[in-house]
Amino acid sequence: MRHVRGFDVVRPLSIGMLVFMMLPLVFLPLASIFIFGTSNGLDKFWAALMQPEAIFALKLSMATSFWATVFNVIFGLFASYVLSRYNFWGRNALIVTISLPTAIPTAVAGFALLLLWGPYGTLGRLLAPQGIQVMFTAGAIILANVFVTFPLAFGVIKPVFDTMSRSLEEASATIGATRWQTFWHVTLPSLRGAIVSGALLTFARAVGEFGSTILVSGNLAGRTQTAPLYIFAKFNEGQIEAANAIAIVLALFSFLIFSVLFFARDWLDVD
Amino acid sequence: MKAKETLIPRHEEPAAAAQPPRPAAASVVGISKRFGKASVLENISFDVAEGEVLVLLGASGSGKTTILRIIAGLEMPYTGKVILHGKEVTELPARERGVGVIFQSYALFPKMTVEKNVGYGLRIRKRKEIKQTVNELLSLVQLEEHRKKYPSQLSGGQQQRVAIARTLAYKPEVLLFDEPFGALDTQTRVHLRREIRALLKKVNVPAIFITHDQEEALELGDRVAVLNVGHIEQIGTPFEIYNHPATEYVATFLGAANILDAVVRKGFLEVGPAQIPATLESFCDGACVKIVFRPEDVSVNRGDFLRPGHHRLASARIEEVSFVGAYERVRLRLDLGGADECKTSETPYYLTTDTPESQAQATKSIIATRPKPEASATRLQVGERVVVALTSFTVLPEKSAKGTS
Repeated sequence: MRHVRGFDVVRPLSIGMLVFMMLPLVFLPLASIFIFGTSNGLDKFWAALMQPEAIFALKLSMATSFWATVFNVIFGLFASYVLSRYNFWGRNALIVTISLPTAIPTAVAGFALLLLWGPYGTLGRLLAPQGIQVMFTAGAIILANVFVTFPLAFGVIKPVFDTMSRSLEEASATIGATRWQTFWHVTLPSLRGAIVSGALLTFARAVGEFGSTILVSGNLAGRTQTAPLYIFAKFNEGQIEAANAIAIVLALFSFLIFSVLFFARDWLDVD
Repeated sequence: MKAKETLIPRHEEPAAAAQPPRPAAASVVGISKRFGKASVLENISFDVAEGEVLVLLGASGSGKTTILRIIAGLEMPYTGKVILHGKEVTELPARERGVGVIFQSYALFPKMTVEKNVGYGLRIRKRKEIKQTVNELLSLVQLEEHRKKYPSQLSGGQQQRVAIARTLAYKPEVLLFDEPFGALDTQTRVHLRREIRALLKKVNVPAIFITHDQEEALELGDRVAVLNVGHIEQIGTPFEIYNHPATEYVATFLGAANILDAVVRKGFLEVGPAQIPATLESFCDGACVKIVFRPEDVSVNRGDFLRPGHHRLASARIEEVSFVGAYERVRLRLDLGGADECKTSETPYYLTTDTPESQAQATKSIIATRPKPEASATRLQVGERVVVALTSFTVLPEKSAKGTS
């Protein structure tokens, strides 16, 4: 290859190749959702979106994901605090366990939950006579979301904890702050960026969860059907337009979350 | 500390009382500390008087930071007590001690502005007059125009002043400085330590500084405690520890020191063939001792005529003359031909900067420094023979390395 006065042929070539590779892998599938979904006009799209079942599915997805996010952010904070502040026997085993759900297939996660909480499950069997049914409810969806997104917030928050200077907290203590005041005024502000990005990641992941949800929710339209399940159900019924409308909403939603993560990075990490 | 009266053949200054004359603001009594099996502090005791500045001087690993953290309540001692203004606080958590710590890294809260940082102690105490106090403190440390800035927008020196103002806000019982100038360049460091010393005298809060820099210790401290691997070698005024070091470690740690073996005789000290008049009541006749003298205590003379107060040590040959800026440094090889009664197998002498290899006492080189006027008045040539005299020296018992006798 020849270099002509600082012109590096590899540069445009490799950039071009990257874009060309991503075309069929990412760009075109995404584009086709939008092209296909709006090909019959925006009013058709709007009508498909306004189906009560569709609206319910979207709302259910948002609500279950929201609560799973709230739980996992708080839990992630707590777990990060404990695991980066204290050294104890079994600490590494705990870190691995918390991170494990990343590697577990979501269908396995859903199945495992069924085996525990289902009507014939280890715990579910004891609860069933009490009239408590955990599976096939919105609660089951939250449980599945929590399980699957468990390591996300933790994974973002813990490194920040690890690198945070202990002397900040020690300074706060010598100044006279209680542990809680120190956490609230000193530790938490430094974690703001990590908490926001951890929450967004968790939420995005939970909204899209399919494999575990379909097992634990029972996929009952208008009752336990989340947005991804709705897409699957409508597609199976041959209602491509209905499925497509929700797909567009979910795709736009994930764009939004990732633009926040990407463009607000400076704001999130400001110190 | 016990060795105090055993040395000092001559007094330039009436020996200042080692005990602070004023009531103690902070005391540490018999502190020891272990990390696992390793003992890092052994039986540390000292007092800091009201308004006094005490410097803990030691090499890294001497345990000085651990002492500071124990006083602050960030570390528990293994044995011993911490007393602040007459109240024992050993069991109290850090936040209830009312101690101000200025960390090496300043530990300013990065998400708070300067004024928020300074007001933090008052806010968590839910005090009312926050604004007024913050204003006063900011003007005290001359940072009024930076009040809305974040710590990352300030220079190292400014950050440190914020850290000081932040601790002064809640009127601490004692201020603790952990190597406060470590991260700064030499010029800022010198400037800042003068500024801080003046500030401390103004607010009259007792302070404990930690440093490994002997110059800093001498300049900052009302008193200096020299630490060596977990125990205090000597506590005293900068003048005392510099001019009358209690141990060899103190002598060598506080700048260059020449150390020679000597034998105590009635009315004089025998250094090789030389006899230096000295009355040493605490040593018996024939005792082996070491004499310690600073390079600037050495006077180099062309003839045998010595000024009064200069004690002839030996003749010597000039080995090296070097220019070191403010003064001239001369290396001299002494003629100490006589038999050496106190020969030890260990390195018989220490010089902090020069010739680490062991030499026999008979041909020993020492370092002298001469101020500019003297250096330019009498130029010395390498190889020239001169007469070496001492203007001041300290006598240490032979086995002083352990500190306690």
